[in-house]
Amino acid sequence: MIAKDTIRSVVEKFGSEREHLMAILRELETLSERNVLAPTVLEGVAEEMNLPPSALAGFVDFYTMFKTAPRARYVIRVCKSTPCHTSGAINVLEAIGRLLGIREKEATADGMFYLETCECLGACSVAPAMMVNYDLHGNLTEERLASILQFYRAGASGDGEGCGPETSAAATIIHDERQTARLLAHIGRVDPGEIARYREAGGYTGLRRAVGMSPADVVAVVKDSGLRGRGGAGFPAGLKWSFVVKGPMQKYVICNADEGEPGTFKDRVLMEGDPHLLLEGMAICGFATDATVGYIYVRGEYRRSIDILQRAIDQARLDGCLGEDLFGSGFSFDVFIKEGGGAYVCGEETSLMNSMEGLRGYPRFKPPFPGQAGFQGSPSTVNNVETLMSVPMILQRGAEWFKEVGTLSCPGTKLFCLSGVLNRTGLVELPMGATLREIIDVYGRGLREGSHFKFAQVGGSAGGVLCEDLMDLPLDIDTPMKHGVTLGSGVVLVCDQTTCPVDFLVQTMSFFEHESCGQCVPCRVGTAQLHHTARRLAQRTAEWADVEKMRETAALMKKTSLCALGQSPIMPLETLVKNFPAEFEAHCRADYGCAACDRSLGRYYTASSH
Amino acid sequence: MATIQIKLNGKTVECERGQTILDAAAAHGVRIPTLCYHSQISRTGACRVCAVRVNKTMYKTACTEPVAPGMDIVTVDPEILDMRRGILNFLLAEGDHNCLYCEANGACELQSLCFEHGIDVPPPSSAPRNLRVRDVSSSEGLRREENRCVLCGRCVKACEEIQLSRVWNFAGRGSHTHLTTGIRDLLGESECVQCGQCVQLCPTGALSFQTVLGRGQAWELTSRNSVCVYCGVGCQINFFTNREGQLVKAEGSIHGPNRGHLCVKGRFGFDFVQSPKRLKTPLIRKEGQLVEATWDEALDYAAGRLATIKAEHGPDAVMSFTSAKCTNEENYLLQKFMRGVIGTNNVDHCARL
Ligand SMILES: Cc1cc2nc3c(=O)[nH]c(=O)nc-3n(C[C@H](O)[C@H](O)[C@H](O)COP(=O)(O)O)c2cc1C
Ligand code: SF4
Ligand code: SF4
Ligand code: SF4
Ligand code: SF4
Ligand code: FES
Repeated sequence: MIAKDTIRSVVEKFGSEREHLMAILRELETLSERNVLAPTVLEGVAEEMNLPPSALAGFVDFYTMFKTAPRARYVIRVCKSTPCHTSGAINVLEAIGRLLGIREKEATADGMFYLETCECLGACSVAPAMMVNYDLHGNLTEERLASILQFYRAGASGDGEGCGPETSAAATIIHDERQTARLLAHIGRVDPGEIARYREAGGYTGLRRAVGMSPADVVAVVKDSGLRGRGGAGFPAGLKWSFVVKGPMQKYVICNADEGEPGTFKDRVLMEGDPHLLLEGMAICGFATDATVGYIYVRGEYRRSIDILQRAIDQARLDGCLGEDLFGSGFSFDVFIKEGGGAYVCGEETSLMNSMEGLRGYPRFKPPFPGQAGFQGSPSTVNNVETLMSVPMILQRGAEWFKEVGTLSCPGTKLFCLSGVLNRTGLVELPMGATLREIIDVYGRGLREGSHFKFAQVGGSAGGVLCEDLMDLPLDIDTPMKHGVTLGSGVVLVCDQTTCPVDFLVQTMSFFEHESCGQCVPCRVGTAQLHHTARRLAQRTAEWADVEKMRETAALMKKTSLCALGQSPIMPLETLVKNFPAEFEAHCRADYGCAACDRSLGRYYTASSH
Repeated sequence: MATIQIKLNGKTVECERGQTILDAAAAHGVRIPTLCYHSQISRTGACRVCAVRVNKTMYKTACTEPVAPGMDIVTVDPEILDMRRGILNFLLAEGDHNCLYCEANGACELQSLCFEHGIDVPPPSSAPRNLRVRDVSSSEGLRREENRCVLCGRCVKACEEIQLSRVWNFAGRGSHTHLTTGIRDLLGESECVQCGQCVQLCPTGALSFQTVLGRGQAWELTSRNSVCVYCGVGCQINFFTNREGQLVKAEGSIHGPNRGHLCVKGRFGFDFVQSPKRLKTPLIRKEGQLVEATWDEALDYAAGRLATIKAEHGPDAVMSFTSAKCTNEENYLLQKFMRGVIGTNNVDHCARL
């Protein structure tokens, strides 16, 4: 039981403004030692923060990391997104079942462990993966699971410090001389925990140079570099900065570190491997857009990233790289962290700002755009981690240097997140326009023994699948679009003959139904219908007409959904059906045997977990 | 306001910069169907029913999208009608609608949109229906049949922006989204003051008043405009009677000073009108019994007694206590009478409590 006094002191610690709601609830959940926010606690918080009870009820119900019924000391979250699903997430669930005797949504009798499934945890290169409270673990086998569980039985705290070594930034990047390591140059070489090392390596010189220029000139350099957003939409960064409303009002820089696109883990590695580069990029953006405050919205699952960033922020403040009057320029800038609560849609920039304000993560209609009215109604610039981290080098070395690699319309490098049946998985940095063939053969060292290439999902669950015919397609922002696929966040998930496209579709559609915010009609209802029709297909009780109906549904969603989440399912659906018509047709026959679908249906597609 | 030119269904027309497509079209007599939009609350953009085609390839919701110079807007054609039908079908698949037993029948925006768009037989849903809350008895005044809800959010905003009580919020997510009134989620246990604003703005039968249940569907009711008798604000009310002539519902009129809003008294306090216990003539107590009297008789009697009491015991033996049901002018007159005619400052009023 959490006492009223405890609630009061936690509210006082963070502040009683609604924007601190997530942090307050997270702390109270940890204090519960049962990973629960009891109704009485929510009522207490409502009273203490002068919020109506409905605000609390709606908030905790939106963010899947929170629960109002007691769980256990440790919550085990097993990822079931496509990268983990195709690497045997079901085996993990079954192994946990054998080791602990529990199924999903059940706790062990001793109150130690509670089992949940969840969507992508950003550890796809070491799939299958799971989280135990805030610790991330990958490469899960039954033996490893046994020793990990023992680790917690022995009292490990699960506060993020106990992540498996296979998930560290240095272990996740692919060390290969042939890549163009710009963003990755420091990782594994420069200690991310020491600002002095970062500065010795040339850090904060981009910011120093920027504050010696005029804000308009900084924007001009970034525009000139041709840098485009790396969060998925590819909007030119300099242009976005130039749209920010000018005037004496408060403005914000917001770094989008919600990284939830299944198969993506680049932002986690960047933040954990080189946190100061992000702070520097944000400060430059702040200078260019006349913002004095920056926020990093980090998904709640990334506890280790949050801790590393917070240490970096503290050091930068002491070292005069954040705070008042930076480098004697008169420009002041500070950075704060906001946490997410388990909602993919909060990566959508306006949903993200609602979430920062302590609201349900509903996307806002646009216009107004964030640059006009963003966080708390003030002009805000939202950029992805990778985008912002590309900025210091542009200031340091110039736009021309930046454009030396990449394609004409998409200069610079791109991080690719390799996962699936490759000999080598992890993060690799290549010039924009690298081909799938090069990525797979050179950096992935080809497919594992016994695996034959079937398709690669590029761009995440919101992206499409590519087959042999598009192996030589230059992967930049514009070219894939012309072929009905997208680069998205840079996911390359490689699947072999054991992956059934219908099973893959079911998981993808289950993801969308689970992650739809539910605000607008086409997406709220459409994602459910797509998921359930795909399931019937997997059960071999659907007809070809149902496949056609799914395409119509997805097309309607594309035209009418409020945000890009509801506009996304069409791409995986269309590309899967186009590339594997025979398998889809086969699934329309009741007597068709499909081991992959049978196995999935037998396990966790019973309901979406809320 | 600067004027700009746009193309509306092929015709070049002028409109104001900053106007939404919805308003600009309305100004030119073009109606675009809506569902989550309501003129008294902020824009939501959630139902997507009002989607129109802009510049040949884009689809924008008319209720949220501002017009821009040169915009080429098409509000209706076969493709757009198909989109709307698709959305309406989604809503029918998601909810549980039986207009035969629904208070809103005849005044339901979902029902009329479906009729307008020729949705005769809703297609079977491919997803299971998530049953939502039926909270039909916890509140004295309100009924909540959430299986008829389209999740437009009009109730949420009515309560938050007009009534300022913030009783409603959405809960759940995705296909499991629903409404909530708080952690216990019962209207009767919430902070609801039963102003009825959320019901008034609800486009469907999801929210309704207890007073109408079984006493006439919306299409059978006739409305008359009147002024609330409870206080000096003078809210205008549209009172609804059923075929038996029974008063069953009160709606705030947007033409009064209340602009559509009412308090719990104006909303529900009309049962006295047709009560058999209602006083129709003055009563005078004679030998311990209340006896009906004419107005002349009663006024003479009161004037006489006031004069006697004043003469025998002095003016301060008399006091007045008046009511918020009187107008400001009436209240003024009474205190003037007490001070000027009776000669006392013993003046009081129920609103002082
Ligand atoms: C459903 C959805 C999820 C998204 N998730 C992310 C995300 O996790 N990280 C991100 O940077 N952008 C994400 N975006 C894109 C953001 O809305 C936004 O475009 C981006 O943060 C802008 O930054 P950029 O221009 O630097 O790419 C998402 C968009 C949608 C519609
Ligand atoms: S498209 Fe989906 S996620 Fe986006 S606003 Fe609509 S319901 Fe929410
Ligand atoms: S809410 Fe409207 S559509 Fe639904 S049953 Fe009632 S009248 Fe019919
Ligand atoms: S009746 Fe009034 S106070 Fe009650 S929920 Fe509706 S709008 Fe809010
Ligand atoms: S109850 Fe009525 S007003 Fe509220 S969301 Fe449902 S349909 Fe809309
Ligand atoms: S009326 Fe425009 S989106 Fe609902």
